[in-house]
Amino acid sequence: MTAGAIISAIIIAAILIGGFAFCFSRLGKGGKWED
Amino acid sequence: MAEVKRERWAGRAPFIFAAIGSAIGLGNVWRFPYLSYQNGGGVFLIPYIIGLFVLGIPWMMVEFGMGRYFQKGAPGVFAGIGKKWEWLGWWPVFVAFLINTYYTVVIAWSLHYALSSLTVAWGTGQAGAKAAGDYFFKSVLQLSDGPGTLGAPVWGILGLLLLVWVLLYLVMYRGAKAIGTVSIWMVIAAWVLIAALIIRGITLPGGADGLNFYLAPDFSDLGKVEIWFGAFSQIAFSLSLGMAGMFAYGSCVARKADVTNSAAITSFSDTSTSFFAGFAVFSIVGFLMQALNVPIDKIAVRSLGLAFVSYPAAISMIPGGNALVGVLFFLCLFFLGFTSAYFLAYGGVIIPLVDKYGWNKTKTTVWVCVASFVVGILYTTKGGLYWLDIIDRSVSFYGLLITGAFACLVVGWVFGAKKLREHVNETSDIRVGAWWDWLIKIVVPAALLFVVIYGGFRNDLAKPYEGYPMWAASIIWVVLVGTLIFSFILQGTKPKAPKGGEQK
Repeated sequence: MTAGAIISAIIIAAILIGGFAFCFSRLGKGGKWED
Repeated sequence: MAEVKRERWAGRAPFIFAAIGSAIGLGNVWRFPYLSYQNGGGVFLIPYIIGLFVLGIPWMMVEFGMGRYFQKGAPGVFAGIGKKWEWLGWWPVFVAFLINTYYTVVIAWSLHYALSSLTVAWGTGQAGAKAAGDYFFKSVLQLSDGPGTLGAPVWGILGLLLLVWVLLYLVMYRGAKAIGTVSIWMVIAAWVLIAALIIRGITLPGGADGLNFYLAPDFSDLGKVEIWFGAFSQIAFSLSLGMAGMFAYGSCVARKADVTNSAAITSFSDTSTSFFAGFAVFSIVGFLMQALNVPIDKIAVRSLGLAFVSYPAAISMIPGGNALVGVLFFLCLFFLGFTSAYFLAYGGVIIPLVDKYGWNKTKTTVWVCVASFVVGILYTTKGGLYWLDIIDRSVSFYGLLITGAFACLVVGWVFGAKKLREHVNETSDIRVGAWWDWLIKIVVPAALLFVVIYGGFRNDLAKPYEGYPMWAASIIWVVLVGTLIFSFILQGTKPKAPKGGEQK
């Protein structure tokens, strides 16, 4: 693999992990699973 | 009349996994990696992530949020906004129904290949790799010379299609709770299989080199319209929006439950699945290039050609455990497709029908399965692939995008984007600001219509789609207009049960 491909993969993975980290850090802050 | 409780998900995880299962599908494997390769490699993720934030996640919040607000499927949602808008809920129901009639046939092909991979029925070595195309088109599909030559059904595929619909019925007749549980297992199984395929792919000779085509960035592509078209269209197709089902899934969410965070998690999961599936695909493509000593433009790297020709060709050449790789890959396709298929049938068709007409849900499920199977027979004939391609263009491209654009316009301008935002913010983990209103009112519809015009009308009005005869290409418009007319007809029909009734 070229350096460009490796760096791309790392950046994309970091963005996705960051997105998940934000979502999971907010879990349960607002809604409750009930009527 | 006594108020009947709305069906509910068993919890947050079953709901999110059901939504993820509906979003991830065959396109994650055979479209996203190809688009990345075609549009600047790793750079493709820039417009894709932007599109995810300005188009995908806001649109998903609309469908989840409106479903929860009205506690109805798509037609009930738009009838709730105003009786004259109910057709806008029925149009995507037809879209979902028709998509599922051929989507399940592709799932049947996947099952066929999962079984035939046990013996690598198309052959091993160089000879097998070269025979993979003929095996698919001549042996499996027995493809005729054009859409005008239908021929008899291919009985093996027809039998597998029947099996798929029986399995779908067994999941759906028990409702949202069973769908949630099955989704958890199937989505996780698909992820495990993708992980196994990645490990096998990158350990093959040439596998890692194939990833350069997928990921190496080319920043010169960023200024091209094509990359933005590719990103926006993939987001629109991949998240299973515009197919009525997400309204129904949202309607089974508890009234105090989160909407925005669930939409974000679903969207990120879908993107992650696509991203990692690209490793499984392009490592195999790299291996095949090296094994056959051919350039990448001689290998099908997208759609059916990737799944049913290139991948089997690679399986023929894999030095050890090739049958196992084949079984894992096609089982993965089966899981990805299956979770989307019951989403389309249950959320897209069954819940809307039961909502409006008050029919018995089990009987409705039976009849939807039977009707879908009967229509699906068309695609099992020898000319079925051509019809699949034409109907796909009509409903999965035009139908999905146009109904999605109109739905966002009506929600944004008639129902009120602010009203919906305040509704979801009341109970959601992530509060969205006033900027979201303008995404729904202007940006999302504009982006969807951009895809329709740039990728659709610009080509299909200039010349017949894919070079088909004019009569066959015209079916695209006939189906599109026909489903619109039927949507108005259903709007005019009277429900059997009073409003507020539930399905059981």
